[in-house]
Amino acid sequence: MQSRWDIGEPEKPTINIETEQLKSELLTLNMGPQHPATHGVLRIEIWTDSEIVAHAIPHLGYLHRCMEKHSENLDFRGVIPFVDRLDYLASMNMEWTYVAAVEKMLGTEVPRRGELIRIMTAELQRIASHLMAFGTYALDLGAFSPFLYAFEEREKILRLFEEVSGARLLYNYFWIGGVWNDWTDDQLQRVSAFCDNMEEEAKKYHELVSMNKIFVQRTANVGVFSKEDCFTYGASGPVLRGSGVKWDLRKVAPYSLYSEFDFDVPVGTGEVGVVGDCWNRYYVRMREVTQSIKIIRQVLEKLEPGQVMGKVPKVIKLPKGEVYLRHECPRGELAFHLVSEGDAKQPFRLKVKSPCFTHISMLPHVAPGQMIADFVATVGSIDIVLGEVDR
Amino acid sequence: MSANFHETSSFREYFSGLLNGITTTVKGMWITFRYVWAVKPVSIEYPEVREVLPERARMRLFNDVQNCISCTQCAMACPVDCIYIASEKLPEGSEIKKTSNGQAIRLKLTQFTIDTALCCYCGLCTTVCPTECLTHSHDYEFSQYTIDAMKYDYLAPDVRAWRDRIVKA
Repeated sequence: MQSRWDIGEPEKPTINIETEQLKSELLTLNMGPQHPATHGVLRIEIWTDSEIVAHAIPHLGYLHRCMEKHSENLDFRGVIPFVDRLDYLASMNMEWTYVAAVEKMLGTEVPRRGELIRIMTAELQRIASHLMAFGTYALDLGAFSPFLYAFEEREKILRLFEEVSGARLLYNYFWIGGVWNDWTDDQLQRVSAFCDNMEEEAKKYHELVSMNKIFVQRTANVGVFSKEDCFTYGASGPVLRGSGVKWDLRKVAPYSLYSEFDFDVPVGTGEVGVVGDCWNRYYVRMREVTQSIKIIRQVLEKLEPGQVMGKVPKVIKLPKGEVYLRHECPRGELAFHLVSEGDAKQPFRLKVKSPCFTHISMLPHVAPGQMIADFVATVGSIDIVLGEVDR
Repeated sequence: MSANFHETSSFREYFSGLLNGITTTVKGMWITFRYVWAVKPVSIEYPEVREVLPERARMRLFNDVQNCISCTQCAMACPVDCIYIASEKLPEGSEIKKTSNGQAIRLKLTQFTIDTALCCYCGLCTTVCPTECLTHSHDYEFSQYTIDAMKYDYLAPDVRAWRDRIVKA
C-alpha cells in the first residue's frame, strides 16, 4: 500500500542561469504607519526596484478624527480646542487662523496689545515648531543628539506658554476677541532672554548639523521640487520658499499688524546643493527662526500696557455669509473656509485647507528614481504633521 | 548620498571633501563632548524631583459643590460633553443658602459627575462658572485601573475626602 506521504520522485526544478529569463518584479514595501521616520501615522506604500523607489503612494486617514464635521455641532468657542489638535506642534498659529476667521465675520476689534501679543506668541510657536522640525529631521537622518539640543530650547518656550495659558501643547489661548491671559513683565523679560540665547544656540545648530559633511551629503541635491512643481501642486511655506519663490503671506498680504514689522523672507539660495532640494528647505526653516526672533524683539519694543480682550457678545452668533481666511503657519498657508447660515450658534461648515496635505501629494511626484534612504530624507524635509493632514 | 557623487569627484575634490568631512564631524563631536562637563543637565528626574507647576496649569477638574448653583453653564460650554449635572427643586420652606460670593442657591444639586477620561482640559468650563467653584487643580497623578474609575462624582464623600489634596493652595 502506498503511503499518503509518498509522492514519488520530486521533479527537478529547472534553473535558468541567464538573467533575462529570471522573473523580475517590483517589491511592495510598507513604510509606516508606525515607522519612526514617517512623522505620525502616515503609511507610504513604496514599490521598490532593489534600492530604487519606483512608486510611492501615501495612504492617509490613520489620524482622522472627523474634526470638520464635529465642529458643526459645537459653538464657536468650543471649536477652538479642536482646532488646537490640527497641527499639534503649532497650535497657537492654528487657533489664530480660526479665531481671525470668526472675528472677521463678527467684526470684532482686537486691542493693540492683544494683537501684538498674538504676533509674539505665534512667532514663538513658529520657533518651537521649527526647532521640532530641525530635531526630528536630524533624527530621521540618523543623528540623535541635535534632537535633544532642540528640545532643550523648545522646552523653554513651552514653559512660557504653560505659565501664560495653562497647557503645554493644546493651549486654548487665543480667544475670539483677543487672548485669554496677559503676559507679565517678568515673562516678557524671559522672552527677551530667550531670544538672546536662541541666537547663540542657532549658531551651534549650524555647526552641528547644517554644515556637517554627512548631513550635506544626505540632503543636498536630494528630493528636488522645481518652482513649476510647487505651483502645480499648490505648495506653500518653507517648501515653496525652499524652491526659491519669495512668497510669505506676512509680507505679500500682511494680516494683523505684520505690515509694521521689519523682517526678511528667507528663500532657498542653493549655496549647498540646488535650489529646491532637501537642504535648502531645511535651511530656510533655520533662517526663519532668526527672522522670528527679529519680529519678537520688535514686538517687545512696541508693547504698551492695555487690554488684551476686545468686546465680544456672550453668545456668539454669526451673520449669514462665508469667509475664507489664510495665515502663514510654520508649515505653510493654513486657511479656514467658514460658512454661517445666519443667526446660528454653530458653524454651518468649516473647511480646513491644510498645507501638509498639499505637500504630501507632492511625494509621489518626487519619489520615482530615488533611493529609499533619500526618500526618507525627502519625507522628513517637508515636515508634515499628520493631525493636520487627516483632520 | 546624491546619485552623481561618485562620478564627478576629481582628485582634488575628493581630498578636500575628505578634509571637510573630518573637520565638520570633529566640530560637531566637540559640541557634544562639551556637554560632558560644561553644561548642567536639564532633565527632571520625575518621581524623585517634581516640577512646580505654574499657577494657571490646567490639571484635573475639581468642583467645590457647596458653592455650585447648578446653573449648567459648564456643561453647555464643554465641547466634549463630559460634565453631567442633575438638580431638583428645593423643598418648600427650606432655607436658601448663599455661595461664597453671595449668589443664592435655589436648586438642590443631586449629581455632579465629570468623566475625567473624556475631559480635554481646555478650561472653557472654568471660565463660564459664575461662582468660580469649578476650577482646575494641580493634581496630575490620577491613573486608574478601569476607565469607569475616572468618573468622579463630586458629591460622593470619598471625593470630598481628597479635596484638601487637590485644591489650589
